[in-house]
Amino acid sequence: MPSLRDAESDLARALARLERRTAYADVMAQRSSGHGLNLDRQTTSPRPLPMLEGAVFRAWDGATWVESAASGLTDHALVASVDHLLGRLPTTPGKAPPGESPTGHAEKTTVEQRPAADFGIEAQIEWAKTRLDWATAVPGIENAFVNLLFESDERLFLSTAGAVRHQRLQYALGAVVPLAIEGNRVETDRVAEGRTGGVEVLDAITEEVVMHASREAKELLSAKSPPTGMMNVLLDPSTTGTFAHESFGHGAEADQVLRGRSYLAPLLGKVLGPECLTLVDNGALPGGWGSIFFDDEGHDAQRTVLVDRGRFVEVLSDRESAAQLGRRPTGNTRRADFLSRPFVRMTNTYVEPGDRSFEELIAEAKDGVVLQNFMSGIEDPLGGNMQLKVKKGRRIEHGELTEIFSSTALSGKVLEFLQEIKGVSRASDMEFTSGACGKGHTDMLNTGTGGPYLLSRAVVGPG
Amino acid sequence: MTDPGDGAFTAFRVGDRLKKLAQPPWEVFGERIRRYELHLNGARVEMIRAPVELEGYGLRLFRAADDQMGVGVAASTDLRDAGVDLALRDAEATARFARFPTRRVDLPSTAARSASVEVMDRDLWDHPLETLQRFVDALLRPFDGRKDVQPSFGSVRANLVDTTITNSEGLHRRFSHTLLEHEFAVKATGGPEGAPPGEFWVNGAARRPPIEHRVAVDVERWCRLAEDTRAGRSPATGPTRVVLTPEVLADILPAIVGFRMSGTARLRKMAPEPGATLGSPSVTILDDGLLPFGVGTAPSDDEGTTPSRRSLIEGGIARGGLYDLLHGGAFGEGSTGSGRRDAVQFPNWFHFSQSVGPRPTTIILSAGTGGTETELLEACGEGLLIEQLGYAFPDPVSGAFGGEIRSAYRIHQGRRAEPIRGGTLGGVVFAPPGSPSLLASIEAIGRQPELVGHLSSPAVVVDGMIIAGS
Repeated sequence: MPSLRDAESDLARALARLERRTAYADVMAQRSSGHGLNLDRQTTSPRPLPMLEGAVFRAWDGATWVESAASGLTDHALVASVDHLLGRLPTTPGKAPPGESPTGHAEKTTVEQRPAADFGIEAQIEWAKTRLDWATAVPGIENAFVNLLFESDERLFLSTAGAVRHQRLQYALGAVVPLAIEGNRVETDRVAEGRTGGVEVLDAITEEVVMHASREAKELLSAKSPPTGMMNVLLDPSTTGTFAHESFGHGAEADQVLRGRSYLAPLLGKVLGPECLTLVDNGALPGGWGSIFFDDEGHDAQRTVLVDRGRFVEVLSDRESAAQLGRRPTGNTRRADFLSRPFVRMTNTYVEPGDRSFEELIAEAKDGVVLQNFMSGIEDPLGGNMQLKVKKGRRIEHGELTEIFSSTALSGKVLEFLQEIKGVSRASDMEFTSGACGKGHTDMLNTGTGGPYLLSRAVVGPG
Repeated sequence: MTDPGDGAFTAFRVGDRLKKLAQPPWEVFGERIRRYELHLNGARVEMIRAPVELEGYGLRLFRAADDQMGVGVAASTDLRDAGVDLALRDAEATARFARFPTRRVDLPSTAARSASVEVMDRDLWDHPLETLQRFVDALLRPFDGRKDVQPSFGSVRANLVDTTITNSEGLHRRFSHTLLEHEFAVKATGGPEGAPPGEFWVNGAARRPPIEHRVAVDVERWCRLAEDTRAGRSPATGPTRVVLTPEVLADILPAIVGFRMSGTARLRKMAPEPGATLGSPSVTILDDGLLPFGVGTAPSDDEGTTPSRRSLIEGGIARGGLYDLLHGGAFGEGSTGSGRRDAVQFPNWFHFSQSVGPRPTTIILSAGTGGTETELLEACGEGLLIEQLGYAFPDPVSGAFGGEIRSAYRIHQGRRAEPIRGGTLGGVVFAPPGSPSLLASIEAIGRQPELVGHLSSPAVVVDGMIIAGS
């Protein structure tokens, strides 16, 4: 297997050209590739993932970061990128950039119990056809989308401070989306499992969960609109995780705090929720979809407790924001790829389990809704409002789960939502979900979310 | 760089290799992109990225397999012979197992013409950083002397793209185009005591920078919306008559109408039958691949077919669909010039790595007789003017959309009244006859269309939208 280490001397030579003109520079080289499959009743589409290769150089000009990047790792591409940067740097190095510069060598690779490279096209098609058959075994479901993705993301980071960080991340994802169609009405449900690892990740997509999703999609065809207004809401694990990420995590990014764009900025150290609430970002989570070994400034990934038993105790930071806030970098500097700039980003963000059972939370809600199968969310880091969208839900009436309803949006003020939390369910309910996150509306990258069931109050309506 | 496309023949270089090694039919789509970025922290430029250079290609092979087609694909940034050979091997390997229900693919030939359309801004092409800096200056100028409203963050990004397309029929298509992306957030701290700061956060893309006067008008509006957000109250719950602005519709209609009227949806029996009633009689929707300076406009689609202007819904009735070469072949319709690697919902600034499918270009909701926005408010009487949702989260498959109301006003006695913030608005674009839907509930369409991303539309009045508030 080719390795980016083969290009290390070329990258180091290119980086050395910058040393006379800057107090600090680094380079991140990346190679990503893989394979995937889309299959449904009509089409079979195996596909190699794009082979993307290139490097981005970054230098501090004394006041501002300047960057240049190019696809390809040829001498020509590397020299051109460095030449562009030299044209923007002063003739002599100025002061050093704020923050810590990691040093030393390290190398890490995702462990695959069953390597994706050994899972050939025929095996993939057989896997997908089996899931399609399971999905369509439910009466009324004639079709389903089945997707597979195996992606390798190799990154090599070098800096003028002497850091060498080499990591290979291997992602595996499988998804089944049964389609229920009646006239103009189309409903779906979704089963998905995505983690860092190998083919073993797919083992979670069993006949039982696929057929359950098909039955739910079929039932959604005749579902009524969701109830509307302020009510008790029980978030399922996937929605709890999205809440942790979108509604809290983005506000806890230190760059947002420093630019005065976080509703959480004045609240660091304050109690925001009940003791049952502990919220974490963990880039070192084994198997997490958002797990990394090192961030794109060379810092080690780590577990960072953001909310400890209700108290907001830490923010996520890169070298510059950590220095400005007098804290240590948390290993959250991430680039979507070599074409994208680094930002403070989340990794795997989740709510730690509590001590309540699902049944206890349903009984406590008495009347309200359980929201299931997150679809998306969007942050409002300054305003502190929240918006989550789920594929489906069920009413809770007199402490019992009753009828299903379709696409639903949830909104409210995050701080009020936190204060209204009545309970968090146990570790046995804990689930992690694969997702994609943008910084603003761009630079999408893999992030994981997770949690158990969480009971609070919010506004819900069709969405 | 002095000439658009100077030296950029990405697809042709790969095609020369395929001519020697690959059996026809095949197709190569290439891009060479220079990207320039300025990132703002408040009013300060915190990062300059200049340039980010990307060159890559996507290739497809078409192999008959029984009564279907095996379509092999690959994409790469490796333009060396060894890299192209590897991509070709990958594509051949996938073609053996791929199946698509058509027996023919009619690749455009040397005789195929390309459309003459405007897709490039010369200043942006020749002087990208200077043009970006002028745009940033225009964005920041309205804040001079203001204390209660300030920029909080933003970025402007220029993409200078050489696209090349070639195939085994001898087609050689080459064109250059520009795209300017912006993201900008305005923070307001004045106004009511005790209220948190207000923010209005926008993002968009256009082929060229707006004129400075337009930027100033937009920024003034964003500042007003940010300030008013501070005083916004949650709306009442229940069915409500609303005025939806083009910005709100732009997040909903291209993604949902574009998918449900496509060959992809038709193949899966998700597309409306031609002749089906989808909306009120005032609703006419087109897809226009030739709209000057539309972000979806190009001299040819990504398969080399000339784009067209195509009616999708006329007077509320379903009409034509969108087809690429494969889906057009499957239905005996031919391509409508809609074979695209771009996506309207989650667009990527480079396309060679994306899969080809039938997708919309610019969705046009035809202007109506509802008049100006003022007249639409009068027609609405009592209701809400929705300026921005957090995000509408359109679900192309189910047609559902909905999101948090970030910026709105109550409409009282036909006039804009107090600001509204919070709660949700949602619904579905299409529904079975007799069920409420966005298109069926449109009461009035304005006469002043605006181009916002992949949509050109006036504001509309919609009755009975479900609002969930306090």
